[in-house]
Amino acid sequence: MTNIQRDKIDIPVTSFEEVILARQLVRELMERLGFSLLAQTRIVTAVSELARNMVVHAKDGRLTATKVTQGARVGVNCIFQDSGPGIEDIDQAMREGYSTTKSLGLGLGGAKKLCGEFNITSSMGKGTKIDITEWVK
Amino acid sequence: MARLNEEVKTILKSKQTDILDLWKKHLFTKSKQLIELIGLDNLNQRTTNFLTQFIDALSIGDDISQENYKRTREFLSDLSQEMTQKNLTPSETAMFVFSVKDAIFPLLMAEFDGKKFVKSILLINSVIDQLGLVTIEEYLNSREIIIREQQNALTETSVPVVKVWNKIIMVPLVGMLDSSRTELMLETLLESIEDTQAKVAILDISGIPIVDTLVAGHLIKTATAARLMGTDCIITGIGSKISQTMVQLGIDLSAVVSRTTLEDGLKLAFEITNQKIKLGE
Repeated sequence: MTNIQRDKIDIPVTSFEEVILARQLVRELMERLGFSLLAQTRIVTAVSELARNMVVHAKDGRLTATKVTQGARVGVNCIFQDSGPGIEDIDQAMREGYSTTKSLGLGLGGAKKLCGEFNITSSMGKGTKIDITEWVK
Repeated sequence: MARLNEEVKTILKSKQTDILDLWKKHLFTKSKQLIELIGLDNLNQRTTNFLTQFIDALSIGDDISQENYKRTREFLSDLSQEMTQKNLTPSETAMFVFSVKDAIFPLLMAEFDGKKFVKSILLINSVIDQLGLVTIEEYLNSREIIIREQQNALTETSVPVVKVWNKIIMVPLVGMLDSSRTELMLETLLESIEDTQAKVAILDISGIPIVDTLVAGHLIKTATAARLMGTDCIITGIGSKISQTMVQLGIDLSAVVSRTTLEDGLKLAFEITNQKIKLGE
């Protein structure tokens, strides 16, 4: 694997191996940006959930993660974009215990609780886009 | 399809010994390592065989997927496999084939003049290039096989079940718990419970970087299955970061007993199984 330090991650997420890679890359990026270990664990867990969702429900997921700044604040932004079937009822999907597969049904709602900013847009048949941002405290 | 000029073929056959000598001379300067690995006697035999097969096959044209090239291809595949196992670089193996050009072309050029045999030279050139690719492809295949074997070796060692004490077993979990590995873990664990009649199974997750809903789901499933066999599961190695993350994520592990350290987990296991260790004076 390359050791090139990247401030922008742009990778396909179509297999469980790539979910692991996504986690590692995001963790590396956050470490470099100065996030605490707790924040790293939280966001990487969220990345794990959202990236895996793309593998399970869509076939052509993609993760882009970048460093963002706002004045003196530094943060990380991750975008999960797929062109899968889309989510019919987002509120229902976010609810605890709801799952179309046999999983625990905590992933999507849980991921939202783990991140500072969480935005989801989805249209049926076209795909889903989830945009999360976390700032260094 | 382009075929080899009969005249050229006759020349190649009659000059086979010269070509062979020139080829070996090039090999000695360019591919020393390969020669060292094969050995001199072996080299003489192999180069002779290769050249005979190669010149015979040439007469049908440059489609190396044809039956006539079968032996040449197999020969190169075997050679490439052997060299890969001996850690020779793919370029050196490919050079074995490519240096045939350096032996054939000077001879042909000395023999003929003009454009008459350009076609034949192009044909030979194309065949040798393709044969060079055969060795590279075989190199990749061999590497893939090695990688797959190593992967399998990793999964096999990834779920060791350790008997710690009478009625107590432990599974140290490391890395990513995907579905296939969890299945393996579940199976090995339940079999060990049956074999050892363990009453407590300790799952140590210190080596797992992240507990997301998938991992948690797997842990709960494992604990439930063990429970059905009358065995309690203790999960150890949940650090402060992971515990906070799990709460936020909404994972409920209250059905499973957990401890921060393996030490605490062991103490609890002794209590559950009603055992005491007596320390010497």
